[in-house]
Amino acid sequence: MTEPLVLVRNLSKTYRVPERAEGLRAAINSVWRRSYRSVTAVCDISFSIEAGEVVGFLGPNGAGKTTTLKMLSGLLYPTAGEVSINGFIPWQRRPEYLRRISMVLGNKSQMLWDIPPLDSFRVLGEIYRVPPGEFRRTQDELFDLLDMRPLLAKPVRTLSLGERMKCELVAALLHRPTILFLDEPTLGLDISMQRRLRRFIAEYNRRSGATIILTSHYMADVEALCPRIIMIHHGQLLYDGTLESLANRLTPYKILRVTFDSEHIEPIDAGTLPTGTELISKEAANWTLRVPRGEATKLAAFILNTFAVTDVTIENPTIEEVIDQLYQEGAL
Amino acid sequence: MYYLRLIKLFIQVSLQEEMAYRVNFFITLLYSLLNLAIGILSVVVIFTQVNSIHGWNFSSTLALLGTYLILGAIRAIVFGPSFDKLVGIDGEVWTGQLDYTLSRPAPMQLLASARHWRFLPIIDLLIGTGVTCAAIFQLKNGMSIGHILAFLCALIIGITILYALLLFFASLVFWSPGLLATRVFDGVFQMARYPLGLYPGWVRFALTWIIPVGIITTLPAEALVGMLSPLTLLLSTVGAGIFVIAVSLFFQMGLRHYASASS
Amino acid sequence: MKMNLRGGWVLIISTWQMWLQHRSFFFLLAFGWMIPPLISLFVWYTVSGTHAIAGMTQSEFVAYYLFFMLVNQLTYSQTNWTMGDAIRSGFMNLLLLRPLHPFFHAISTEVAGKVVYMLFVIPVVILLAPILHPSLHTTLYQVLLFIPALLLAWLLRFFWGFWLALLAFWASRADALLAIQDALILLLAGQVAPIAVLPAPLALLAQLLPFRYMISFPIEVLMGNLSLTALLEGFAQQIGWLCFTLLLFLVVWRNGLRHYSAIGG
Repeated sequence: MTEPLVLVRNLSKTYRVPERAEGLRAAINSVWRRSYRSVTAVCDISFSIEAGEVVGFLGPNGAGKTTTLKMLSGLLYPTAGEVSINGFIPWQRRPEYLRRISMVLGNKSQMLWDIPPLDSFRVLGEIYRVPPGEFRRTQDELFDLLDMRPLLAKPVRTLSLGERMKCELVAALLHRPTILFLDEPTLGLDISMQRRLRRFIAEYNRRSGATIILTSHYMADVEALCPRIIMIHHGQLLYDGTLESLANRLTPYKILRVTFDSEHIEPIDAGTLPTGTELISKEAANWTLRVPRGEATKLAAFILNTFAVTDVTIENPTIEEVIDQLYQEGAL
Repeated sequence: MYYLRLIKLFIQVSLQEEMAYRVNFFITLLYSLLNLAIGILSVVVIFTQVNSIHGWNFSSTLALLGTYLILGAIRAIVFGPSFDKLVGIDGEVWTGQLDYTLSRPAPMQLLASARHWRFLPIIDLLIGTGVTCAAIFQLKNGMSIGHILAFLCALIIGITILYALLLFFASLVFWSPGLLATRVFDGVFQMARYPLGLYPGWVRFALTWIIPVGIITTLPAEALVGMLSPLTLLLSTVGAGIFVIAVSLFFQMGLRHYASASS
Repeated sequence: MKMNLRGGWVLIISTWQMWLQHRSFFFLLAFGWMIPPLISLFVWYTVSGTHAIAGMTQSEFVAYYLFFMLVNQLTYSQTNWTMGDAIRSGFMNLLLLRPLHPFFHAISTEVAGKVVYMLFVIPVVILLAPILHPSLHTTLYQVLLFIPALLLAWLLRFFWGFWLALLAFWASRADALLAIQDALILLLAGQVAPIAVLPAPLALLAQLLPFRYMISFPIEVLMGNLSLTALLEGFAQQIGWLCFTLLLFLVVWRNGLRHYSAIGG
């Protein structure tokens, strides 16, 4: 049994955030007495990842996913706990470790803006000490894979968002990293670009065997790419396993949102609803119901036929609703 | 060797970037010449009223003005543009783009100090050199090789202290991300446009021992006109070395703070 | 464009509060503008240490430059970046659409700025005074004359900077012109040396150009060095330049607006 590539034990991160109350008096007081409060971003997380896996960190905004990722990539010191990646401690930021990893940060660019992408690549190649022959080969491979030849001579600021994304990917992969950290990589992209990006990542993992760790708050990213997910919420590890078993907890339910024509709200008798249906929320004319999967369309039709209704939608539960549900049922 | 190759590449890429940006050459030249005129006239105004102050006369003060322009140009060519990228509201520390730079397998201080270059300020470099030479011709006592060598040494010391000061102010950004640290330096650096001898005693002290910005220009100018003793030069070399090492440690401290406190 | 005074007042107050929030940024700006007069202060302090220069003693130099720092900050023209940038960035289009004349934007940023800058400069001046020992021989009469001189100086500098900023309606690189002008002010408005200390050709130039009346003149009035004729002449020049500048401003504004709208802003 080989050692896992990534070993995380009891990782925690707590910040001291200065408290800034409102008003003039508080502002004056803060000049000589700074009060702080502790914010726990990550609390006692442990997991391990094998080489070549694609793992998704899933959770709502502010859950601690990005903080965890930053500790794994060496950008942040933890408050407690250990991390070992390929034998290295990430936050020591040894050049030998840094040369093996790479990052793509959603919404942030590592390209030089006013000049063609080739020049940014050249600089990166030199910084990562990639031998010239290997550099050229890797570049050519990536250019072909991403169909980038027409872009190469244009300054980066003239490229479209999708084209720039391709450049970011090449920049991240030029030195053939064995571990790739992707932080919200699909943020701000349109649907077709998101799909293309996911396809590329999956393909890259297949070809190179690189380990990929991805954070996202989009279910779709994770569904498409990650056989294994780690769900983080309020800094705690809620779930670590395959998507299928998590899906088994999701698929029994669908969410039904009904907007009644407000003049005719009659309380729906609980007896008329199919078994297992639950009213999640009720705000004036907007009701939200959780329905067993098989009953969803039947119930929708029933409501449409019986009541005056402006709108009915049937949805999959969102991450937040799943997590709420997980909380109600206790952590996995 | 790796570092030299990196710097060479940074220079090449910066040159490309600068040419893509298309700054108006003539307006910049005009502005540099205007600054020069104002600078010279300011010195003229002072020395119409007095002949010399604490050993400084018109020619030696003019020589110092030239040195000031040279050092300002060096700062604008290399260290300034690199640190400017870190500071301020659109700087790397504030926007989080620093994460990319932090994850490079190259020394952070090198990247922060020498990543971006600008070559237009070579105009000021040439103007400054011209002024310094003109001032030397004006000097009553002759120029010796010794003076020139001392000047070059003192210039290097001046550049070292300039770099250390800029690095210090830039490092503050790790504690206060939006701070326009380089603008603070700008204000402080302006105090180097006159010889220390023209300032009151307590200001001279502050500008030598607390924020050594006065040494940056006064030392080379003194060397040029023969007012510099070898002992002072030696002590300044040691002092500058200690200063730059201390500030480099401060920079590392700043990095550590950023890596524990940022989210 | 209606003169929406209440709206204007609200804008002024809210801009002021907003700038106070970011006061560390503005303090930094004020710090930068304060350094050149401070340097001149130190130099003349040293030069006049042993004997008076052009009739001014060391303490008088100190008084002059401490006032200079205050008056300079109070009259400083920031319309280049409040209005000039607004034009260059397209923000002016937004301003023109508001039911509030864009002039109010200039005024509200002006008030906000001056309040915040003075919050920085006044303590510094108060700190420096006991160290440097300024001396001031002034009469009530001169203080009373100082106030209108200051007001006129502020108006003059405000509108002078404003019309220059409006050149951005035509040429986007017009801000370079302002940088050039700033350099001229250094010499001719009494920053490098009080006008009285300047050599004859420069002093003459200073008398002829409007810059002296933007900063130096009120200080000269306050320090009591001016004869009655000089006072009258000075005020006449101030008012004259102000009228000229206002005219220039109106012409540039009207034509600039026409040009700006014609090219689509």
